[in-house]
Amino acid sequence: MPRLRTPADVNRLRGELQAAREGDRRCVSVCSGTGCLAYRSQDVVAAFEREIACQGLAEHVMLRRTGCYGFCERGPIVVIQPEGICYLGMREQDVEEVVSETLANGRTVTRLLYEDLESGQRIARMEDIPFYRHQQRLLLAANAAVDPRSIDDYIAAGGYAALAKALSAMRPEDVLREVTDSKLRGRGGGGFPTGRKWRTTRDAPDDVKYVVVNADEGDPGAYMDRSILEGNPHSVLEGLVLGAYAIGAHEGYVYVRQEYPLAVRNTLRALEQAREYGLLGRDILGSGFAFDVHVHRGAGAFVSGESSALMAAIEGKVGEPRPKYIHTAVKGLWDKPTCLNNVETWANVPLIVSGGAAWFCGMGTAESKGTKIFSLVGKVNNTGLVEVPMGMTLRQIVYDIGGGVPKGRGLKAVQTGGPSGGVIPASMLDLPVDFDALSEAGSMMGSGGLIVMDEDTCMVDTARYYVDFLAHESCGKCVPCREGLYQMLGILDRITAGEGRDGDVELLEEVCDLLEVAALCALGKTAPNPVRSTIRHFRDEYDAHILERRCPAGVCKNLIAYTIDREACLACGACAKNCPTGAITRAPYNDHYVIDQDKCTRCGCCVEVCPPKARAIVKVAPEAARQTL
Amino acid sequence: MTNPERTGYEMNMVELEINGQRVSAEEGTTILDAASAIGIRVPTLCHDSRLSASGVCRLCMVEVAKGGRSRLVASCVYPVEAGIVVQTDSEKVRKVRRLILELLWPSLPDLAREYGVTSSRFRPRDTECSLCGLCVRYCAEIKKRQAIYFRGRGIDREVAIVPELAKECAMCRECFPCCTGGHIVTHSDLAFT
Amino acid sequence: MVLTDAARDAWAAAGEPPADVVVIDDERAMCDGCRQVLEAEGLRALTAPDGSRGLALVERARPHVVIVDLKMPGMSGTDVVARLSELDPSIVSIVITGYASVDSAVESMKIGALDFLTKPFEPEQLIQSVRRGMELSEARARVREAPPAAPPAEEGLADASQVALRGLEVLGQYYRLGLRRRDFVDELGRLEAEARFHAETLGRIKEKEQVLVEVIEDLRVADEVIASHAYRKSHLLQVLLDVQARLNWLPRHVLKWISRRLKVPLASVYTVGSFYEALNLEPRGQHLVELCTGTACHVRGAPRLQAMVSSLLGIEPGQTDLQQLFTLKTVHCMGCCALAPVVKIDDRYYSNPTKTQLEGIVESCKQEREPSCQG
Repeated sequence: MPRLRTPADVNRLRGELQAAREGDRRCVSVCSGTGCLAYRSQDVVAAFEREIACQGLAEHVMLRRTGCYGFCERGPIVVIQPEGICYLGMREQDVEEVVSETLANGRTVTRLLYEDLESGQRIARMEDIPFYRHQQRLLLAANAAVDPRSIDDYIAAGGYAALAKALSAMRPEDVLREVTDSKLRGRGGGGFPTGRKWRTTRDAPDDVKYVVVNADEGDPGAYMDRSILEGNPHSVLEGLVLGAYAIGAHEGYVYVRQEYPLAVRNTLRALEQAREYGLLGRDILGSGFAFDVHVHRGAGAFVSGESSALMAAIEGKVGEPRPKYIHTAVKGLWDKPTCLNNVETWANVPLIVSGGAAWFCGMGTAESKGTKIFSLVGKVNNTGLVEVPMGMTLRQIVYDIGGGVPKGRGLKAVQTGGPSGGVIPASMLDLPVDFDALSEAGSMMGSGGLIVMDEDTCMVDTARYYVDFLAHESCGKCVPCREGLYQMLGILDRITAGEGRDGDVELLEEVCDLLEVAALCALGKTAPNPVRSTIRHFRDEYDAHILERRCPAGVCKNLIAYTIDREACLACGACAKNCPTGAITRAPYNDHYVIDQDKCTRCGCCVEVCPPKARAIVKVAPEAARQTL
Repeated sequence: MTNPERTGYEMNMVELEINGQRVSAEEGTTILDAASAIGIRVPTLCHDSRLSASGVCRLCMVEVAKGGRSRLVASCVYPVEAGIVVQTDSEKVRKVRRLILELLWPSLPDLAREYGVTSSRFRPRDTECSLCGLCVRYCAEIKKRQAIYFRGRGIDREVAIVPELAKECAMCRECFPCCTGGHIVTHSDLAFT
Repeated sequence: MVLTDAARDAWAAAGEPPADVVVIDDERAMCDGCRQVLEAEGLRALTAPDGSRGLALVERARPHVVIVDLKMPGMSGTDVVARLSELDPSIVSIVITGYASVDSAVESMKIGALDFLTKPFEPEQLIQSVRRGMELSEARARVREAPPAAPPAEEGLADASQVALRGLEVLGQYYRLGLRRRDFVDELGRLEAEARFHAETLGRIKEKEQVLVEVIEDLRVADEVIASHAYRKSHLLQVLLDVQARLNWLPRHVLKWISRRLKVPLASVYTVGSFYEALNLEPRGQHLVELCTGTACHVRGAPRLQAMVSSLLGIEPGQTDLQQLFTLKTVHCMGCCALAPVVKIDDRYYSNPTKTQLEGIVESCKQEREPSCQG
């Protein structure tokens, strides 16, 4: 591929690519992000290739594998341009019909279209689907147009225009000012003003500086960064080069967790392509500016996502945090000034440089500008990645976009910020997504995980889950965090087992106070949040567990029992087959099944398979189960 | 004062206040050392002047006020800064130390008694090792053999011997005096892998 | 096949070697008896009543094996055997004698006979002896014909013959030294035990060699990976990940090797190895089963799925089953939250599988089939 020697070359190439892509060719885009790959979308792609060739349409149809579209609940997703028809839940066996109907004759296949839950109406265009209509997909929209393995796709879609502009018409100081004026705040969780961090790094007195992309994304339930890195790696790379230019760094690192093999591959390929095109390496676009990037893989440690730990890992040491009283922006990698930002933060930079700070400030709230990508997961109908302007309320996200809670259950809370965050109860659902508003409510924005919890979720169990997670993910170096989490886990284990004692909650709070002030790193300091926020908003659940030995949500195994309603039981035996401990047998001389309470581990597998028309398995208090025997 | 890179000429002196006393210390000195120089004793567990600073036990935390805001920092790693006001024994600090000692109970009984901790509300641990890391650092920095290391993570973290060096380790035992929790001493006959 | 005298004579006249065996004995009954037994076995046998006529017959008939009576009037059996080896070293002689004495045995061995049979003997003994003789004779002939460098086609056979020959030589020496029969027996027993011992040792050496070959292969892989990272110490974790991708886990000898090659303390390698979830310091099963324990999966029933998977495989997370077929791990979020709760088996994802589905998948794994069940 010819090297691009000047910024003008980029724009010229874009013109050429766009001209070549004009015409009346239809384009089929198949989502090939990890989520849809788990649905075997690669089989859909293969089927399209076969069918298109078979039906002689290869001249008229282009097939493109793209990154994540976000509507993960309904994957695999296929979009057909130029009409913008969006097919959901496509399987291999649907492809033939789509090719012959839609690609060959322009007719839609109705059963694959989105169906409005209330009106029953079918919606063809992606933008009209409620899930998408309420979003503002600044970053994620590009995924639809770009095959992550193709730098040409990225350029044709407008990529590297910002870099061309910066290297031809802006000084480093100008780029930095644009980002500062945009009031962009870190998307990794801290929400620290990005411009300020860049300024500190730039001003630090050292010739050698580094920029780092934090793609560790350890928060369970969050996969926004993965989708960006898998689906549009060049967007992050462009942002990184712009940042390096602004700061004066010549070397960069991308730290990716190894659980994202596709993201690692696509990033490595993107780097190679960028080097070939002269967008990376020495004398980028003839500007004299030199910059290159290394990829460093993680290996399954949440704590390594903390900035000082991440830098220790890049240095080759074990990825544990270090006590730091000097900002890593001043002394980071190998004691050099290092600017570490999250994937989504970097991806915003090209947009800001192209569109300008004023444009960016036009979106969002007073102190939280731009958009934020959330992974909307849990007890929600439309699981997926959503990108909304800052300031949209949680209610709008969960209901208008997410489609509410499945099976008509009541919403109890929304958890944000991962293990460093907290729960926001249903009563506070009109809170806007805004860094400060969420912090004041006792949670935090975090990296963007938004877990919806319903009335069947136990808040004490949730707290226990997070403490268990942190107890094992903590590096374990410092006494308050390690010993504190060990004790908190013990207390929460007791409470959820029905052995809670009066004073447990107060003891938990005391340990929380210790961790907040005395822990060595951010993991330890924010570890109290899930516990504190559940105590703050759901104290009644704690009291029920401790004082009444009752789990209101019916989750904690020692506090529930399963019995079979003999009248409702159809004696189909499905539950018995599915029971891992063999606790269910047919009652002698009777036409129903019985659960042996001594063998039952309350795993709930039986409830999953009991036919909906029977609903014979009910949850009761343990004492009630023993009485019915 | 440990600053081997400094020559005599470029020493910058920093003025700060510790427990109401004005102190003048070389740039780069830790608060712990600066306090010690004027006779103020801050409790420590993982600190040893022969070894690099660690900052993991958090017993040495002190309250530092700067520009109207105050927070707790680990004095063994926090360098002195001009104009800060340090309290090594405020109520906030004592509360932290008490809880840490309660968590580590029954290790460090003397220090615990000093802070009024004579029992613990917490469930006991299986080990008396506080993971202070002195043995690990001694072996790495003074013995230069690196026969002991930290294995694992989180609540399962433990001190372990490199299996290939176990025999050597069993005969050396130089790190024994460092052990603050009594763990190495009580397990001196077994390989504590 | 029974030969008539006429046929035999015809062959003799044609100059072909018409006999497998020639029997030389002054006792007519013995000759006939031997011949009948041998012909019933499908072997061609000729007889002669004395040594000189026997030798002449041998010259014409070129048998593989010659059976000679030790005590004969005229030329003794000993002389006959001696002459035979001069005539054709590939001919194997078997002596028969009526006197079962050590002296006879010694005599026979000394003169190079393969075996000696004392009268009366069972037909079976004769047949066995002759068969062995035929094999030995053929081997000898092959060795003579084949170029010295080429190994014999049936190695085992040649080896056995060589060993037998050598054994007989050694025994001959024993006789010359005047040792008793008891000693031979003991000595043979000892030699046999020694031979077996050496065979076992060889076997163990071969096993160790095999293990060493595997170890060296592992270290070679490690070297390749380390070189691809340009021996950078800071790439320790990357090296461990890449080596594990090739070897499926990180054995101790590999860790030690990496420490040496990267010049990183062994303690650091163990620290890093034990810190990260993704690194396996214990052998991994053929199939990796990963349960997602992310928050979305947790609220959608991951604990229930884990109970089911654990009971099905018989192992808890972090363990490998005894047959090393499955390793079960929990992963803190795979990022497939729409499929929650998720279990990943090898490289396929399954969303909320039922017990029946899981049983099917486990079964196909056991039989190395492609799992037909999709999530």
